[in-house]
Amino acid sequence: MTSVTVPRRASRTVIWLVLIGVLAIVLMSILPWILFLEIVSRLNLFATVFLGIFIEALPYLLFGTFISGLVEVFLDRDLMARFISKRSVPAAVTGALMGMVFPVCECGVIPLTRRLFHKGLPLPAGVAFLLAAPVLNPIVIFSTAAAFGWGNMLAWRMGLSLVIAVIVGLVFSVEKDPSNVLLATLTLSHEHEHEHGHDESDPSFANKIQQALLICADEFFEMGRYLIIGASLAAALQTFIPQTALLSIGSGPVFSVLVMMVLAIILSICSTVDAFVALGFVGTFSFGSILSFLVFGPMVDIKSALMYLQVFRRKPVAYLVLLPFLMSLLAGIAFNYFMP
Amino acid sequence: MSQRLYRSFQALLMLGLFLFLIGKVMNNQLLWYINQRFIALTQIGIVFLAILAQRLFMEARLTRNHHQDEEHAHSHDHVPFGSAQNKPSPVNLWIMLIPLLIGIIIPAKPLDSSAVSAKGLTTSSPLISSDSSSKLFETESEQRNILDWVKLFYFEKDLNPYIGQQASVVGFVYFEDRLPEGQFFVSRFILSCCAADGYAVGMIVEWPDASSLKQDTWVQVMGPVDAVSFDKGISPLIRAEAVDLVPQPDQPYLYP
Repeated sequence: MTSVTVPRRASRTVIWLVLIGVLAIVLMSILPWILFLEIVSRLNLFATVFLGIFIEALPYLLFGTFISGLVEVFLDRDLMARFISKRSVPAAVTGALMGMVFPVCECGVIPLTRRLFHKGLPLPAGVAFLLAAPVLNPIVIFSTAAAFGWGNMLAWRMGLSLVIAVIVGLVFSVEKDPSNVLLATLTLSHEHEHEHGHDESDPSFANKIQQALLICADEFFEMGRYLIIGASLAAALQTFIPQTALLSIGSGPVFSVLVMMVLAIILSICSTVDAFVALGFVGTFSFGSILSFLVFGPMVDIKSALMYLQVFRRKPVAYLVLLPFLMSLLAGIAFNYFMP
Repeated sequence: MSQRLYRSFQALLMLGLFLFLIGKVMNNQLLWYINQRFIALTQIGIVFLAILAQRLFMEARLTRNHHQDEEHAHSHDHVPFGSAQNKPSPVNLWIMLIPLLIGIIIPAKPLDSSAVSAKGLTTSSPLISSDSSSKLFETESEQRNILDWVKLFYFEKDLNPYIGQQASVVGFVYFEDRLPEGQFFVSRFILSCCAADGYAVGMIVEWPDASSLKQDTWVQVMGPVDAVSFDKGISPLIRAEAVDLVPQPDQPYLYP
């Protein structure tokens, strides 16, 4: 069956490519030369920004997918059940702190969370892990401290991320049936896989590594797809919306927070280094707005929001974006009013 | 698409990505995209890509053998989920082609004046926390780069000791409407992470022959430094004694 549909889809893609090519040639002949040069230089900027995000995120994504592969072949479901409580509050708190053991940023955390869900991680723990791990991990703590020192900014960043992640985790614990939240592939094969794992003789260590590498490669293709789409959206936004215009509207206790959060979404930079980026805004932006940039950015940006769609159904993804958005916004505004 | 064909395409794309990035390493262009602190990490990633490509080629070969002897039986290395073994999606392959196409078709260029118009240029900004900047002020004036001067002018309360000091900085020429005739910015992009967060800092240069220079030309500017008020702040200005054309540095950006 696939042999019938696939060539048709492929030929359709070819037709699209030809159409785009023709359109490009027509546009090139109509547009005045100056405008054409402008477009070419914009295209250059787009390519540089896109490749910048892609190349920077690549090793982190590979790391995340490889850990995920290792978890699949080495981590026992029963072991996981023993360590993580079924009750919501302890599960959410444990989940939020798991980043200290798995130091991943927001690109790596998503494939890993998906894998852990597959291994039977409770929903609140997984959600809290997903949101908190990109901040509450040793690498990010050190990079934040390197930028801002061991002070208020670091403490509030970690505290706020923890609180928001646990709250969202608890919100998700209301849903008792994970299959309403997670994609079908994550829950369907449980039973099957469970018995599968037991009646097989244990494969050798080398075999397991080989298998982990294969899982890593497959997941790299699955997640990389969203990284690429996200990076091109972010690059396009940066190319066509001047950042200066965005920053110039960013004054006042509410707007400054909003602007920094929108910036966090558009920049789509890795949580391991966003502190250094945020440092550039000290002086022009208030403590509260920079804090919300540092808390919200690692939880949601264009590429991670797209990658969430590989784990969750659509409605839960909306919650995962909106709840942290609202809470970071409120926190930022509160800081602007009470700690200006 | 058959399992084997899918694996082969995956392997080829992985190999393509590996070769593309190796090429960038060879001609030193990785520095056009990311902060130098990530270079080592990216190189590890590149090696890993090669390992994965090898693994996928192996799998493509194995899949053929498997299909010959066991059609329906579960193969022993059956991967239950997360592997495309169940439902290979060709869309993944098409999308993975995008970075390769963008990288190959669009000529590589570091951020330049066209990026300044999108990302903005500043002449005063607190790019590092003030306490770590103090030793900066003791350096030889001619050793300071554009970022050092901009930081110094931002943090130092009393600028008098610095006015008249000799500067020698390298950057690209950027003309802007905010500047009068005979002046231009000598500027550099600052990268914290990757090209996505880059933005330009610049010093104003006063040079009678400014109109003979072209946007984006790399120059070395030498001359005494002065302070002028610009854009609601104090900005360093070089009264240029010499403006020499220089080739673009291998490392076009500065790092905070």
